[in-house]
Amino acid sequence: MSGVVIYLPQGKTGAGGGPGGDAVTLRLGPGQVARFGRGSATSPVELRLDDEAISRLAGEIRVTDDHWQLSNHSTTQSYLVENPEGAGEYLRVPPRRAGAPIPFEFSRVVLPTRRDTTVSFQVFAPDHVYLDPDGTGDQWGSRTVTAYSLDETSLYFLVLVALCEPRLRDESPVAVPTTPEIVERLQGHPLLGRLTARAVSSHIDYLADEKMRISAPAEHGLRREARRNGKRETLVGLVLRFGLVREEHLALLPPRPGTGARKREAAR
Amino acid sequence: MRGSAGATGDDRAELLPRGYRIGDWEVTEPIGAGGWATVYAGRTVRDGTDREAPPGGHGAVALKVLPTAGLAPRQARKAAETARREVEFGHRSSHPRLIRLLGSVVLGDPDRPLLDGAVVLVMERARGSLRDLLGTGTSETEGARLLTEICEGLAHLHHSGWVHGDLKPDNILLMADGSVRLSDFGLATELTGTHGTHGYAPPMGTFDYLPPERGKATLSERGVEIRPSADIWALGIMIHEVFASGASPFPGATPLARAAATQEYAEGRVPLRLDGALPPFWRALAADCLAPTHAERAAHTAESLLARIAEKAAAEGEAGSPVARRRTVRRRRTRAALAAAAVCAVGVAVWTYTGRVGATGTPGTPPAGTEDRIRVFNAEGGCRDRTDRNPGCSLGLAIDPRRPYTTDNVVPHRVWHGDELTVDCRLSQGIAILDEADTQSAAWYRVHLPRGTSRPTAWLPAVRTKDRPPVPECPAPTPVR
Repeated sequence: MSGVVIYLPQGKTGAGGGPGGDAVTLRLGPGQVARFGRGSATSPVELRLDDEAISRLAGEIRVTDDHWQLSNHSTTQSYLVENPEGAGEYLRVPPRRAGAPIPFEFSRVVLPTRRDTTVSFQVFAPDHVYLDPDGTGDQWGSRTVTAYSLDETSLYFLVLVALCEPRLRDESPVAVPTTPEIVERLQGHPLLGRLTARAVSSHIDYLADEKMRISAPAEHGLRREARRNGKRETLVGLVLRFGLVREEHLALLPPRPGTGARKREAAR
Repeated sequence: MRGSAGATGDDRAELLPRGYRIGDWEVTEPIGAGGWATVYAGRTVRDGTDREAPPGGHGAVALKVLPTAGLAPRQARKAAETARREVEFGHRSSHPRLIRLLGSVVLGDPDRPLLDGAVVLVMERARGSLRDLLGTGTSETEGARLLTEICEGLAHLHHSGWVHGDLKPDNILLMADGSVRLSDFGLATELTGTHGTHGYAPPMGTFDYLPPERGKATLSERGVEIRPSADIWALGIMIHEVFASGASPFPGATPLARAAATQEYAEGRVPLRLDGALPPFWRALAADCLAPTHAERAAHTAESLLARIAEKAAAEGEAGSPVARRRTVRRRRTRAALAAAAVCAVGVAVWTYTGRVGATGTPGTPPAGTEDRIRVFNAEGGCRDRTDRNPGCSLGLAIDPRRPYTTDNVVPHRVWHGDELTVDCRLSQGIAILDEADTQSAAWYRVHLPRGTSRPTAWLPAVRTKDRPPVPECPAPTPVR
């Protein structure tokens, strides 16, 4: 239980004060609250959204159990909470709604503005718990469970399975695929039309930092890329060791290039 | 560690039919299925010969089956790893408060593919678990007895350099005579590190009993770092549950809500709110066990908690409170059954000291003038630097050095590192004591207690001093009851 992470990307929203605004990351523990809005001396906010269409106190986020609640302080505007991985899945939080529970692990909170643009920020809830696959469902509260759980339908899980594939197939005990190799391997997956290298890297960071909380050995002087390689090797080593990714998960990946290669050749 | 992905709990419950033969035992009926394994009741079969029943074989055993067949190779390795931990632990530890492992068998049964390769752990059979008792309401006396015995098991476990890692009422078993046994050592971890302060366990646990630092613990390829203070936290939760009809000290309808509440408490946003039903002594103990950080909790070891419990029991005994007397009577009954087991465990160590019998002639009453001084030594380094006579750093003196060194066999007077005591003789063949630094000795020194205490003398284990005063061998002490 480490709470949620709120991320406001750098840019037009002008958060953080100066023009352009720096990216803001907030971490909230269970029971903690972050207010968002345009802010002012009399209504301070933790997350400043610099747009004149947004109220001084537009709403608040409260961490509850393993999820979070959104309160909409606007009297006229609805806010949208989108699940970026949910193929269009979203919730509408109407004006003055207090404490709407948000069930997504990944959310984008979208506030309307007067222009055609919107202001949005992201909320991650990495603590969502999944039952172990062999649980019988009764009295799971007193059961011994794996303390790190992964959503096996998520994109990060797909990336993780692709990372583990060579070792699961006992092809190479050492090599962990590189980011371009992952992009290539996942190409053609129906849910992943436009998977970019940047997206793969951020999924890996999310897994390592927020989900598994990997203790990376301090390696000074290493280039960023080398550090990232170390991280992905550790990640693969430990999800395999603790059985979080198993042979049966290979079925989630698209058919292997080896088997489909000839067909693709022909199509070209 | 987890079961097969293909087989559901229901499938596994029907793995072993009644009468199925495993080594010297046969299955009588299923007891239950956990996430780890399926447990069956079993009994000893004599095989039609006059062969003695296997050890512990008064007939009833529990057979814990960890199937590996039908699992992908990695999962099979994991199941085998659980079994390995339990077997390794079982063979290396023996204590009246830990469930006894009587044997382990790997099944070879090509006709039943699900069973082929399964590991079966054969253990003492319990009557039930603390979980069964929580809903029924426990009297203060009974609750205190159960918790004392849990603490005894935990003190031994930590002494021997292990952390349980999954302490909860489901894993506290109650035997037919009502005595407590800690069980389920599938997550038990041996302390490593240069100072033996921590070990690494698989990243698993039970929400309601995980200490708050686990919510933020990092994971390495060896697993998640675990320290004895994790068991102490779980003990704190159980103290609360025992006296508050099974309720957790943390509010919330689900384990997740309670885990979040635990985190809020640990981050200092809400205070600890213990149920009013907790008796004051146990309330204080629970609060110490539930100190929010590892550092604060580390001051309270299972041994120091046990010492406080002993002190309280002794104080009550002196005051002649009827509660204490009833309790003593009850405890004696269970002790009788345990004495034999304790003697076995100690047998090897008893003769390691040759004693001074030969040197001083016939043992008898020590002649006047043989008194000497010894200085108390505390093997816990943290305690040697303290001068505040912190209760957590106090050491006990035994009433009878040949009975188990447990709470009802300790005088109320405590001693601390550096204290000088008057000693008049040495007993080389008492019960063996293992100290925090794994030094073991069966020798004891008879020391004088200050005037005004209930007894003139008590016994200091030889591991609690570095001195070797030239005192004569003690006469065989008369059993103290």
